[in-house]
Amino acid sequence: MIGEILWATSGDEAPLWLLAAGPAGAVATYWSLYRYYRNTDKSHAYERDTLISAQPVQGHREKVRHISRTRDSDIDGDNSSNHRERVQRLE
Amino acid sequence: MTQDATPPGEARAPRESPFDGPPLSLEEELAAARADPEPGPDIDTVNESLADGLNRCPKCGSTDVRLRGSTEMLVCLFCRHQWQEARVEEEFGLGVGIDDLEGTVVAGGAEEISGDDDVITMTCGGCGADVVVDTAHAMNARCHWCRHTLNVNQRTPNGAVPDAVLPFRLTRDEAVEKIRAFASKRRLFAHPRFKKEFVPENVLGVYLPYLVIDARAEAAYVGQGEVQTRRWTEKQGDNTVTYYAADVYRVDRSVAFTVDDLTVEGAADRADFGAGTTNNIVNTILPFDTKNAVKWNSSYLVGFTSEKRDLDVADLQPVLEDQLLSIGRSQVHDTLAEFDRGVRWEAEKVDVRGSRWVSMYLPVWLYSYYQENTRMLHYIAVNARTGETMGSVPVSQPRLIAAALTVGTVLEGIAGWILVATA
Ligand SMILES: [Zn+2]
Ligand SMILES: [Zn+2]
Repeated sequence: MIGEILWATSGDEAPLWLLAAGPAGAVATYWSLYRYYRNTDKSHAYERDTLISAQPVQGHREKVRHISRTRDSDIDGDNSSNHRERVQRLE
Repeated sequence: MTQDATPPGEARAPRESPFDGPPLSLEEELAAARADPEPGPDIDTVNESLADGLNRCPKCGSTDVRLRGSTEMLVCLFCRHQWQEARVEEEFGLGVGIDDLEGTVVAGGAEEISGDDDVITMTCGGCGADVVVDTAHAMNARCHWCRHTLNVNQRTPNGAVPDAVLPFRLTRDEAVEKIRAFASKRRLFAHPRFKKEFVPENVLGVYLPYLVIDARAEAAYVGQGEVQTRRWTEKQGDNTVTYYAADVYRVDRSVAFTVDDLTVEGAADRADFGAGTTNNIVNTILPFDTKNAVKWNSSYLVGFTSEKRDLDVADLQPVLEDQLLSIGRSQVHDTLAEFDRGVRWEAEKVDVRGSRWVSMYLPVWLYSYYQENTRMLHYIAVNARTGETMGSVPVSQPRLIAAALTVGTVLEGIAGWILVATA
């Protein structure tokens, strides 16, 4: 982490956001240690560690609109990897 | 016919003794036929050889039987004969037919738990004494007169007896080592009181109740996905800003799949994964090799404690659906690669075409520690089949904060130094 900061700033003038390094590092240290001790984020990965046999996935896509200019580098609310976040249930 | 002779309340009595009592009228027969039949278990898992409530050694008849951990076999302490109950996988055909499951199939031991008393009285088959067994905490008791082990083997009406049990494989010493190793990697910031009171030898072998589910399902998902079509930068004053253009698609996916031996907590206390609990610890040591579970015989429980199931199939349907939805999502995940700006699922559904439920006791070595100042129960749990170990160690907040501040101060110092040096 320190190496990255040094590398990132080994140019001209260092940007002021460097001052955030202290608080950010403190919070990150706290949470990673806390997680290592308490493991509050762990659970059984049943999506992977269960015997699952799936048929081929079916699906379609249909273009609905075009975004011609945005500063967002990705879609809002991407939950495609967050398999356990439940969304509206269709009946 | 003798219509008035049989009060309506007795119309169902013939279920138990069909050839006793006066014959029913046609109306009563029809009413009885139309009435919802008591749903019996779809898979009858009663271990008939234990019908008298005593676990006898098949060789010498002694009831002094217990699990021999290193071999997973039952051993008769009288004649040293060793044996094992049949694996339920083959005995009840649990591994097969998941593709054809229809409706909800429930094994005998997974039937509804009734609200009856946990405490049952058993008559000792050895000497006739009455012995009380508290099924909330134990599935067996020893007759204090003749030392027979009395077991809750018959299907008690409160549904306390599971269909199957997975015997302990890891020995107590192995569990103690795992727990010690886990904790000693987490010493520096552990709560001082925990460090002082940590005695891994206090580990307990516990059979925890689970429902093991085979299911056949179809899941469907609808959402939006975006594909980047262009990326460029523009100068704005001193900075360059990156802009994107993208096509937005409506995306839908569906997948049919089966799961074999999905395992969910059968006790409400363990199934609550709220932030104020450490239940996720025990959940994390799943999965077990449930294929090796054997027919229920409470001799496997001698020397261990057990917890009783209090969640029924109906209570756990939402949990099953939830897990099936997650599994389906992970199955369709690989088909989303073209949407390089990501996919946002907005709606989903699952049709559970069929499910089969079996209740099992699974073996866990449990070291528990009650942290008084936060009133939190911490565990270090060891899967007594695979050895997988997970735990929650109480932290010393002051030390943790001190460490965080130290790191923060060092980083801030470096940052300040860079700013000054490059200014
Ligand atoms: Zn014997
Ligand atoms: Zn007795």
